[in-house]
Amino acid sequence: MDPDTPEPSGLRIPKLPDLKIPKLTVTREKALAAAGTVVFVVVVAVIGGAILLNYTEDQQVAAFHSHVSASEADLFLVSGKITSHMRTPTNDLSVAECDAHMREFAAIARYGRDVTAYHRRIVAADAVPEAYVGAQSAYVRALDNLNRAFTFWSSAAGAYEMRDYNAANRNIAEADAAWREYNAAITDYDRELRAAEEGAEVPPA
Amino acid sequence: MERKDVLPVLAGGLVILVVALVVKPALLGEPIGLASPGSVPVHNPPVYVPPAAAPTATPFPDDGAAYTRNFRWTAIDGGVRTTEVTVPEALFLEHRETPRFSDYNSWGRYALAEADRPVLEDLAREIAPPAANPDEGYFRLMNVVFFVQQIPYDKDENTTSYIEGALPPHAMYVKDGVEYPKYPVEMLVDGRGDCEDAAILMGRLLDALGYDTVLLRYSDHMALGIRMNEFNPYYAKYTPKYFTYEGKHYYYVEGTNYCGGDAFSGDPIAVWGKPYPIGDTQDSLPSVQSETPQIIPLRYVPEPGEYRIRPVRLPAGGA
Repeated sequence: MDPDTPEPSGLRIPKLPDLKIPKLTVTREKALAAAGTVVFVVVVAVIGGAILLNYTEDQQVAAFHSHVSASEADLFLVSGKITSHMRTPTNDLSVAECDAHMREFAAIARYGRDVTAYHRRIVAADAVPEAYVGAQSAYVRALDNLNRAFTFWSSAAGAYEMRDYNAANRNIAEADAAWREYNAAITDYDRELRAAEEGAEVPPA
Repeated sequence: MERKDVLPVLAGGLVILVVALVVKPALLGEPIGLASPGSVPVHNPPVYVPPAAAPTATPFPDDGAAYTRNFRWTAIDGGVRTTEVTVPEALFLEHRETPRFSDYNSWGRYALAEADRPVLEDLAREIAPPAANPDEGYFRLMNVVFFVQQIPYDKDENTTSYIEGALPPHAMYVKDGVEYPKYPVEMLVDGRGDCEDAAILMGRLLDALGYDTVLLRYSDHMALGIRMNEFNPYYAKYTPKYFTYEGKHYYYVEGTNYCGGDAFSGDPIAVWGKPYPIGDTQDSLPSVQSETPQIIPLRYVPEPGEYRIRPVRLPAGGA
């Protein structure tokens, strides 16, 4: 046996045939089927994506709707308390009755402050479609101003308790200003919401 | 397609899901999983908590020690009357031990002090008994005015203004001297007081008769304003002075017969018994004739001008 070419006796390595790339026979039918599949996949991906995006946006608007609705329901309760309190005639109250009236005022202010802070946190955290960002921002601003107004009411009630009527008057004036800003924010919200839903151009404030 | 061809596709899908639901939210600080990135944990909304009721004051016993004072005064009909007033000692002492309000705006609280009400309502009934004839309303009003005007004037810084013969512990030391607004029953027990004490007492008595009154504060004086629609009696040789507050007319009424210092000339009789009619400021202090007073309502309740919550339109597309 030749040591350079060890080849056991009786064994022979067969010679491989020349490797060649197999010939693909592309028929017209096969090409059309492949192209059709690609087009189908792309179309399904685009439509699916659009549906998914639309579904997400709808879900976001629904969540925004539900949060604003919950906020409005609670604000309605606050409004009821305020209206009932303001209807009480104060002309003939005794000092004790004036004090009780102011304690109720303080309780309403606390309630309003808690409600606005609570809903502000929820509405502000909503992810909304871009078209609704203006409405969301205006609504959050409205809640902020309302919260500020109630905080001034609380301060006025505190000043009354301390018999510092000048400070109470100052706080009431600040609260009135915050209420006016709240009103302006609500007007902005209505306008922005209309624009988001009707696709109209937002007129300047 | 064989099984070995499907496994890489599934593994790729799994990697994409892990990246989308775990890695990306973790990097952006969003909640992990399928939760909406904007949602926050929703707890129960706040609820209205009504205020706690204030403790009711214990009434002063009728049979306890009391101060009795007799006031001799001239009524509007020219008759001289004597009116006896009894004030529970405990009530008087409680007021003496009560700190005063430094803010003038809260001085109406003295006039309307709840604890004084029984004494002052009795006194108002005695000075101005209810009459069936409505024309007598003016006489009732003027009798209250005259009664208070004839209580001797004394300055806050004078120890003679207090039955103890000394300044009360809560007298306030101010730039111009001493300030000690008295509760109505304090003025009755002391039997004297200064302009704000008289205005406060008169305000309380007229309030008991159903009149709407305010305190009129000048730089060096205090008087009372009585709400009247129109007061212009034919006999008046002056134009009645009034001030408008919240759309209502309040006519000036002097609470003391203080005449620019004559009361301290040593001859108090010279100025006592000379009542001032409603709206008459002819002989009043210069400040009364030249200044516009600060109007202090007896009842003060802060009243917001704005308080309406506007319902809004909800976004379409909700549930």
